[in-house]
Amino acid sequence: MAAAASSRSGGEPEAVGHEGSVLVLGRRARAWRLALAACLTVGYLAGTLVGNDHWWPLAPWRMYSTSTAPTGAVSVPVLQVQVPGDAMWRDTALTPASIGLTRAELEGRQDLVLRDPSLLGSIAMTHARLRPDDEPWTGVRLVRRSTVIEDRSPTGETRERVLAEWTVLGGGQVMGP
Amino acid sequence: MTTSTPEPAPVAGAARAPAGAARAPARAGLRRLAGWWFPEIPLARIALLRLAVFGFVVVDVLWLRTAGWYHGYADPTWYEPLVVGELLRLPPASVRLVDALRWGCVGLALAAMSGRFPRVLGWGTAICWGWYQYVAFSYGKVDHDRADFLVALFVLPTVGMAYLSDARRSQAAGFALRCVQLMAIATYFMAGVAKIRFGGWEWVNSATLARAVIRRGTWVSEWMLDFPFLLHAAQWGLLAAELASPLIFLLSARWQRRVVGLWFAFHAATYASITIAFWPHLVMMLSFLPLESYRDTVLRRWRARRAALE
Repeated sequence: MAAAASSRSGGEPEAVGHEGSVLVLGRRARAWRLALAACLTVGYLAGTLVGNDHWWPLAPWRMYSTSTAPTGAVSVPVLQVQVPGDAMWRDTALTPASIGLTRAELEGRQDLVLRDPSLLGSIAMTHARLRPDDEPWTGVRLVRRSTVIEDRSPTGETRERVLAEWTVLGGGQVMGP
Repeated sequence: MTTSTPEPAPVAGAARAPAGAARAPARAGLRRLAGWWFPEIPLARIALLRLAVFGFVVVDVLWLRTAGWYHGYADPTWYEPLVVGELLRLPPASVRLVDALRWGCVGLALAAMSGRFPRVLGWGTAICWGWYQYVAFSYGKVDHDRADFLVALFVLPTVGMAYLSDARRSQAAGFALRCVQLMAIATYFMAGVAKIRFGGWEWVNSATLARAVIRRGTWVSEWMLDFPFLLHAAQWGLLAAELASPLIFLLSARWQRRVVGLWFAFHAATYASITIAFWPHLVMMLSFLPLESYRDTVLRRWRARRAALE
């Protein structure tokens, strides 16, 4: 970048905007640029009005766009694992560095897990590749943890439900929707 | 691109004067519209914006958005191709692919920061970064703050050569800058439209922000759960601000900068509250700022200070 600057001015930045020439676009150069702008406008409007996430990069900007009922429950997915010689299920970090997926991605593919719970076994394999020094996971289960809210405020009550489970010995099984 | 000014329009004959007079306001309107799409802005601003954009690509792939890289280790079963992936027959991620894309982004973006071969290196970076984002988003979750940055990466190279010390102004630069500004603001507006489409008008009275704080809250925001009316009011304010965001184009440059400052403050508050930052979008908002003037001011003050010390 310094080379680009100094090639014109010996490294001394100049004041811009006075006495400099203006580069004007011809008719054709303007036309294709306006056509490009029109295509982008149509594409993004269509994505916003009728598209879905699969349309990315023309997907609608739907982050936090759904309505959560003021009274009900707010749920988060939790991943619990077992290690050899310990029957206790423990929460584990639901991060890409640990399982190759984010929490939102696991949540987004929840239906896939409920159709084929043995997929949780692939998470144990990914963890072994990413963290070879950790104890291998002999069991993985997907849990839904819910915080009860009333009029937009937590009541203090939490609920937990195991959705699907995989173990080395038992394979995958669905526990509940 | 030429350095000449457009030829003057031929003078209409006397017999056609009434029709010409009727068309005059239409022509004036078209000229104003063209002037809006093709403002003559300093090329130095584009050179500085490109530095920020390509510099961000390096920071982003190495430190900010690394989930895509880990997909190289995930089982291909988790791959959920998007429409663009099906059209281009893009494969699931592998360790080799994510490494190639990550280091390809870094190499191309650093080369593009040199200012040389702006089109080849700029579009190369755009394709590589776009593919890397595709890898990140084709495993069940799409982040909605990154499509606009892709437009910036593709449009900025259309300007051609631009130097940090450039004293010229350019309409091509103006068009590229206008596109970046429009996409940045469209992100807000279309996020507002999406809330109405998916959440309905009752979105403003829902518990969406309370849900966000329960799931991702920090000590900065969790106390607000005890005062739910704050988050409720914030939802009204947010939707109103998003739907009103295009009005920024009716403001003077000074007021535009103030509004951009408010948006930056909003994003800082969002990050402090739920640790979500729309990093690429923040870089695009720089397109509203006179970067070359800021640079000149900083350099002038620095030189004056250095001279005073000597």
